[in-house]
This record gives sequence, C-alpha cells and structure tokens, in this order.
Amino acid sequence: MTVVATAGPIADAIAAGELPGRVWLYSNYHCNLACSYCLTESSPRSERRQLTPELMLGVAGEAAALGFTGLGVTGGEPMLLAWLPDTIASMAEHLPVVVLTNGTLFVGDRIKRARPLARDGVAVQISLDSHLSDVNDMARGPDNFAKVVEAVPQLIALGVRVRIATTTAGPLDDPALEPLKELVLSLGVAPEDHLVRPIVRRGRADERGLGVAAVARDIPSELTITADGAYWGSFGPTVRAGRLDTDLLITRTVLPLSVPANALLSAVRGLPPGNDANLGIR
Amino acid sequence: MSDDVAMARVELLDVANAPISAEAYFDGGDPGPIVAALASVPELLGPTLGFVGAALGDGAAASRHKEFAILRTSVLQGCRYCVTAHTAVSLDAGLDVAEIRALRGDVSIESAFHDERERALIGWIDAMAGATGPVPDDVWTSAREHWPAHVLVELSVTIGATMFLNRFATGFELPTSPDVETRLASAGLT
Ligand code: SF4
Repeated sequence: MTVVATAGPIADAIAAGELPGRVWLYSNYHCNLACSYCLTESSPRSERRQLTPELMLGVAGEAAALGFTGLGVTGGEPMLLAWLPDTIASMAEHLPVVVLTNGTLFVGDRIKRARPLARDGVAVQISLDSHLSDVNDMARGPDNFAKVVEAVPQLIALGVRVRIATTTAGPLDDPALEPLKELVLSLGVAPEDHLVRPIVRRGRADERGLGVAAVARDIPSELTITADGAYWGSFGPTVRAGRLDTDLLITRTVLPLSVPANALLSAVRGLPPGNDANLGIR
Repeated sequence: MSDDVAMARVELLDVANAPISAEAYFDGGDPGPIVAALASVPELLGPTLGFVGAALGDGAAASRHKEFAILRTSVLQGCRYCVTAHTAVSLDAGLDVAEIRALRGDVSIESAFHDERERALIGWIDAMAGATGPVPDDVWTSAREHWPAHVLVELSVTIGATMFLNRFATGFELPTSPDVETRLASAGLT
C-alpha cells in the first residue's frame, strides 16, 4: 500500500465524516447480462464508456494521496475486460479495492482469470438476489443462479475474498431473505460479507417503476469516476432511455482527482444532510 | 429537457438534468441557453461566467460604449444570437433605434453618430473585432486622442469575451428567446 494522506482538505473531510472514503470507478458500461433493475441499462449492446488501465491506476494513486481510504470498481460487467484483474491487483497497491461483478464469467476454466484477485486488499462482490434460482434468474437472466453458486466456492478456494450483494424490492430486514442468507453462508461467505440493499429507482429500474426513489441527498456522496466525468455517488452515472444522466454530474474533469474531489466537497457542503441511512442505499 | 433542445446542436440542460454542482445556476428556473449549454461541463460555469460577467458588466467604460463593443463585434462575427440579444440590451442602455441600426450595419455609422469621439471608438472596435493583424496606426491614434488607454484595454476584454460568446452561440446554434424576438419586433428591429 502507498501511504494514504492523513491531512489536507479531502482527508480532513473524510475523517470528519463529511465525505465517504471510497472512490468508485465505472470501468465500463457493457455487460453480458441485462437485468431488469439495472441502473446503467447495461447489456451486450451498450455503449462501452470504458476507462483505460492507466486512468484507473492514476485515480488509485491520486485517491491515496488525497486521503481517500478505499476504491470500488463497477460497471457494466468489469470482468468483460481481460486486463481488469491485473489492474485491480495494481490498484490494491494503493488502496483496498472491491470489484463488483455478476460472477458469471468465472465458470469452468475461466476461474483462472481470477488469480490476480487472490490477494490482500481485494474483495470481489457478486450479486445474488434469491435462494430460488427461478426468482433470481427472472431479474438477472437465465442460468445466473447456477453460475454464481458454482463460481463462489471456487473463488474462495482460489483465495479470493468474496462478498455477496443482494438487491431487493422488499424490506431490507425481510424474514423471507433468511434462506438466502443460509445459502450464502453455505457457499463459504461470512454473514458480514453479505450485503442487502434496495433497488434504487434510476436507470432501467426507473423506467419500470421499480425500487426506492432517491434524490442526491439520499445517495452516499462517494466520488465516482466514469469515462464521461465525475459524479456524486455510484448511483449517479446512471443511464435512462439511452441518455447518461447528468443530475449528479460533478465535473467532466477526472484527473487531477483533486478537481472533482474538491467540487464534490463543495456540493456536499452546499446541500442539507440526506437520509441515506434510512433508505439503506449502499 | 427544454423545448429548445431540438434547435441547438448541444443539449441544453434543464432544471431536472442540471448537474448537482451547478444547481445554483438553475435556482431561478431556466437560466438561458448559454448557461444551459455550458452546464454540461459544470466546472467551467464559474470561471466562464465570472470572466464574461466581468468583461461585459459595469466597468470604467460607460454601458453605452460597452454595448458599442458587444453589438458591433457580434455583427462583425455574424452572430445572430448575440446581435439579437444585445439589440435588446442596447435599447436598455439608452441607444436609439438609428444608432442600433448603424451598429448593426443597416445604415452608415456617420448617419447616426455625430460625436467624433464615438466615431473614433467604433472605428477602433471595427479594427479589433472585424480584422486580423495590427490595428492601423491612424485608427489607433484617433482612438487614443479621445479615449484613455485603460478604457481601450477594458473594451478589448469586452470584445474578446464577446467573440467567445459569438462562436459559442453560433457554433452550437443556440436559440434566441422568443421574448427577445417579440420585443425587437415591437421596436421595428428584427
Ligand atoms: S445489474 Fe449488473 S449484471 Fe445486471 S445488467 Fe446491470 S451491470 Fe449487468
């Protein structure tokens, strides 16, 4: 790990709880799936809006220097990018990284691609929405359940830290989630590594009237970097009816990272506090 | 999206799509096409509008003479958007219809402006905004006979900012507000 700054305007704001410590990167927007509630309307035909490994490493280094404490990589499906596991490993030299994936590209022989992710400071977060394969696959696509339950134990056996994220239209403490929690545990994932979160009504979920409506104040203000600019929160750079949303755009400039980070801090200070804790958006 | 979107070459952001870092510019509703277009790069709003506001706003030069610079530059640059908008502003600044017509090139400068100082100033503005290369010696000498250097420096910044607005508005085909069109029609200045 590089030395993370502990002083300076951004480090101070993170220490004071004004800014979240994680920086998100949308590595790409295309995906092998096309889930019903997808925030980015991703599908195999989506515009790629792809970051380069150089930019991702640049963000990682500058994030550490500014005092951010963690990185997240999301998409689209990041694992569609062949170079991504190595880049994640390099980013983890700067800060801990969690990479979000649908987990379907680790099946069979392709599990070998995950080797660079088996290291300290990297976690792989895989989506799984139900213990019932048909319910899960209705939202996420055919065979998704089978591929995920195959991949998770293999990733763990490889030495990868795996987290599971469940996106639900119901209450976050719904007792109906118990069998899923048991399934997740049986796959070898610790309860603290199982995240349950609501569908956020943006992107395709908005078009279909799914999930909780959220305004900026409800969305954690994590600095989020995309090929089209820097956004307020990982729920910011969503796509609706083919148009990349701009309501949570902060700056088009992404590097130097201090430009969007300072603009985000100004925007956070200009808004009243939100109720993201109540909505459980994360 | 506002109704103007189809007419402009770039998206004009409305209140619903305004970037969170640019919210203040949309507090009063529609901020006009220039801000609505510029808002897609929100970090440029503050510096750009700060510069344009200082360059076109009150200063040592009288507002009447600032409008000479803005309107004449816009005419020479062929910017319909700015000519229309600043025809209205020129009326507010006290220019009469004959003077505006002359600055717009409909009639000669000499027919509407009888003050030698103002003619010298317009000649210098034409050399700055409508030509390339140095300002001819006689134009410069005449302008300096009547105007302090700092006023010419200030107006050169006004001309430069206007040229930026001209290219921005014309290049992106920003739509003129219907209110401005109506007002100019009633003054016989369309
Ligand atoms: S939700 Fe994730 S896995 Fe599903 S289509 Fe969107 S990016 Fe792909």
